[in-house]
Amino acid sequence: MPPVEIWVDGLTQSCIFMTMAFGMVLVFSILGILNWAHGQLFMLGAFVAFYAITAAAIPFPVGILLGGLLVAALGIVIKKFVIDRIGNELYIGVATLALIFTLEGAATMIFGSDDRGLAAVLPGVYTMAGSTISYQKLAVIAFTLVVMAAMYFVLNRTKVGLAIRAVAQEPEAASLSGISTQRLSLIVMGIGCALAGMAGAIMSPIYPINPFIGRAPMIMALLAIVIGGLGSLRGAIAGGLILGFLHSVIAYYISYLSEVVLFILVILILLVKPQGLFGESAK
Amino acid sequence: MAYLKLINVSKHFGRLAALDDINLQVEKGEVIGVVGPNGSGKTTLINVISGYHHPTGGMVFFDDRKTSGKRPDQIAKRGIVRTFQSNVLYPGLTVMESMMMSSYLQYHSNNWQSFFRTNAWKSNEEQVVGWVIELMTMLDLIDDMDSPAEGLSHGRQRMLGIAMAMVANPRILLLDEPTTGMNHTEAMFVVDKINKINAQGITVVLIEHNMKVLMGLASRVVCLSFGNKIADGLPEDVMNQQEVVEAYLGTEVI
Amino acid sequence: MRNIFNRFVRSYHRSAMPGYVAGVLIIIVFFVPLFTNSVVLLSSLILTGIWAIAAMGFTLVLRTGQFSLGQSAFMALGGYASAIFTAQLDLPFWPSFFLSGLVAGTIAFLIGLVVLRVGGIYFSIITLSIGEIVRILALQWEPVTRGSRGIITSAPPPITLYGHQLVNFDAGPVPYFYFMLCLVAVTGLVFRGIGGSRLGRTFAAIALNPVLAEHQGMHLMKYRVIAFTVAGIFTGYAGALYAHFLSVMTPLVFGLWQSILILITSIVGGIGALVAGPILGSILIHNLGEYLSRLNTPGLQSFLFGSVMVVMILALPQGAGLIDVWKIFWRWVWREKKSELDTVSGEAEY
Repeated sequence: MPPVEIWVDGLTQSCIFMTMAFGMVLVFSILGILNWAHGQLFMLGAFVAFYAITAAAIPFPVGILLGGLLVAALGIVIKKFVIDRIGNELYIGVATLALIFTLEGAATMIFGSDDRGLAAVLPGVYTMAGSTISYQKLAVIAFTLVVMAAMYFVLNRTKVGLAIRAVAQEPEAASLSGISTQRLSLIVMGIGCALAGMAGAIMSPIYPINPFIGRAPMIMALLAIVIGGLGSLRGAIAGGLILGFLHSVIAYYISYLSEVVLFILVILILLVKPQGLFGESAK
Repeated sequence: MAYLKLINVSKHFGRLAALDDINLQVEKGEVIGVVGPNGSGKTTLINVISGYHHPTGGMVFFDDRKTSGKRPDQIAKRGIVRTFQSNVLYPGLTVMESMMMSSYLQYHSNNWQSFFRTNAWKSNEEQVVGWVIELMTMLDLIDDMDSPAEGLSHGRQRMLGIAMAMVANPRILLLDEPTTGMNHTEAMFVVDKINKINAQGITVVLIEHNMKVLMGLASRVVCLSFGNKIADGLPEDVMNQQEVVEAYLGTEVI
Repeated sequence: MRNIFNRFVRSYHRSAMPGYVAGVLIIIVFFVPLFTNSVVLLSSLILTGIWAIAAMGFTLVLRTGQFSLGQSAFMALGGYASAIFTAQLDLPFWPSFFLSGLVAGTIAFLIGLVVLRVGGIYFSIITLSIGEIVRILALQWEPVTRGSRGIITSAPPPITLYGHQLVNFDAGPVPYFYFMLCLVAVTGLVFRGIGGSRLGRTFAAIALNPVLAEHQGMHLMKYRVIAFTVAGIFTGYAGALYAHFLSVMTPLVFGLWQSILILITSIVGGIGALVAGPILGSILIHNLGEYLSRLNTPGLQSFLFGSVMVVMILALPQGAGLIDVWKIFWRWVWREKKSELDTVSGEAEY
């Protein structure tokens, strides 16, 4: 049985993967495209939070919101000026793949490629039964819960949220709900990107920040989506949770090969049960 | 032994039975019309025969060999080729290019011969082009051969669909509503062409709503309703049967 | 009849430029080492050729409608196969090199058999995963791959004829340059042959409309696996040449980002031409990249790559790339009035 620290690590990773995967699936289920540059939005969110906190002395929670808002604005710009102007889904995928390079390159030119840290945001550790947990990790978990609760509220209690869920299940339902698909997809792109930005901002105190930190979370979010079933919102959360724990717990036992195990698991799932472990069978 | 034989064929989608225990025999050289209201399982029948769906029960035999459970390409190789309910084309190609794209089953030289452009390949390729031209002449597509297939009118696109299936020189041609969305003249034109195809010895199974078309073509008519076969016989007899009239009630009585 | 046949055949061999112009260009490239012995220029040309081969492989797979995000894995497999055979197992160079492509091809074949059952986005995710697995294994399987330290590869042995040493690979990049030219030529000829043959036509049918193609008798799996395997073989050879040219094989040069770069090379070049497109794309991306990386502005290179790509997709019809811009330029030079760009989406499938 791995020690408590490993489980807490797993949970913090789950939080990041979950938020990322949820945003990606949300965009996928409405727009029908995978945003491959989702990880770079995560990275930009982290930078926004970093500068908000260090340069403008804005409190951490506001920094998270700011990260989400700015990245959402960028996402809407991308949607309006890139995605909407390409007809073919294949080429939308290629364009978002290319955006990875654009965004990383821009970030490198603006921020430089050195590691930065936000270690001073919430110092101190919490000691419980001989194991220590830093307050920062607890903060990551807490803020993720807040964000996911907000998402739950939006999707279940607001008119827009209900429309989103209806369209995700039945693409033709958009016209029935009286909300224009065009506006809805813009809103969804904004929310999805905001989630990526907030995930980046939330984790900024516990990991170093540089222009390339978006790559690994994007791949992991992709795997989480596959585990949960492509297009399933609930599956993305479950997939993120499973993946976070697997990642740190497998790593505890067999260290470096843990990612290989994850990738093989994902390939097996795709071949045997393409609708994912939690996906609704056959749409 | 019948040419094409369906024995107790069922196809269930979850709890919905699209086809329920269908028995059907098609003799060589026949033209069989399949009628029935929308959602009665007509297209599912063609999907099952062509291998697009695997039946959940029962078996399909063609020329004494089992075809159920095979892939569409294997069934096409045996000589059963179909058209689709909507206009299914290769996007972006001209009529001639679409026809050449569809000529796969006419390749009698292998990929290596084609790669090295041997004489065997050349003569086969000329043969294929000749056959394609002959077909296009017969089906009146020759004037459009260099125009983009997607730019053709709806009726011509349906004709191209039949032509693309005919390139394979099938033994059985499955036609899924060849005359939908056509006016009377166009439909009669198609009837004429299908009769010509049948005269070459090709067995035809066609789904059709238009009774005039059916009367002009079919030697036998089968009526489906809710996945069950409710009638099978000469066109005039089937059309006057009480169950058939009832099945069509409230839908489109023609 | 004859006439119609010829017209059709010609229509699907529309090439980017007349044969004699291509011939002159090839001869010029052939004599490049006579004009310059700049190691920097020759090295960058060699790398251009290597990545061009990888991009051709990607384009071939794309021709069957599949989007592979793991092509650099086959470069890594070919490179490691050759490096392990020569450095760890002490086999002679030429047999090892010959085997390296076959190893990559065999692995591509086996992966293809299992993976190509699922298509579309699933195929992309699975190839991405395979690419990452290969990279992590190369990094972590120390006894075989020596991890991040990499395997030191030896140069090919000198080629001697009647006691005279004709080619010495230790002398500089020139022998590698011709080695690269041979490899590009062989790959180009094979791919050109495939593109113009019935195999190419079948690939196009499968990509354009899989359901229709299957009902016309084409076995989708078979042709997708053929394309994936052929691409794997030649990408493997490119990887092997890469390993020996750099004289060290490390896992750091292969991964998802290289796979995406291959993709960008292929699409910027234009998938309308199976051979010329990737070469053109590679010349732009890798020489420009080489130049940009010397400007000492970190980030500029990837920013421009990404932006050029996005602008290209936005500005040109889908499936069009540099090769189509070139065609228009060529027609303009000769005052041919016909604009090809309108018909490009259809033509791109050949």
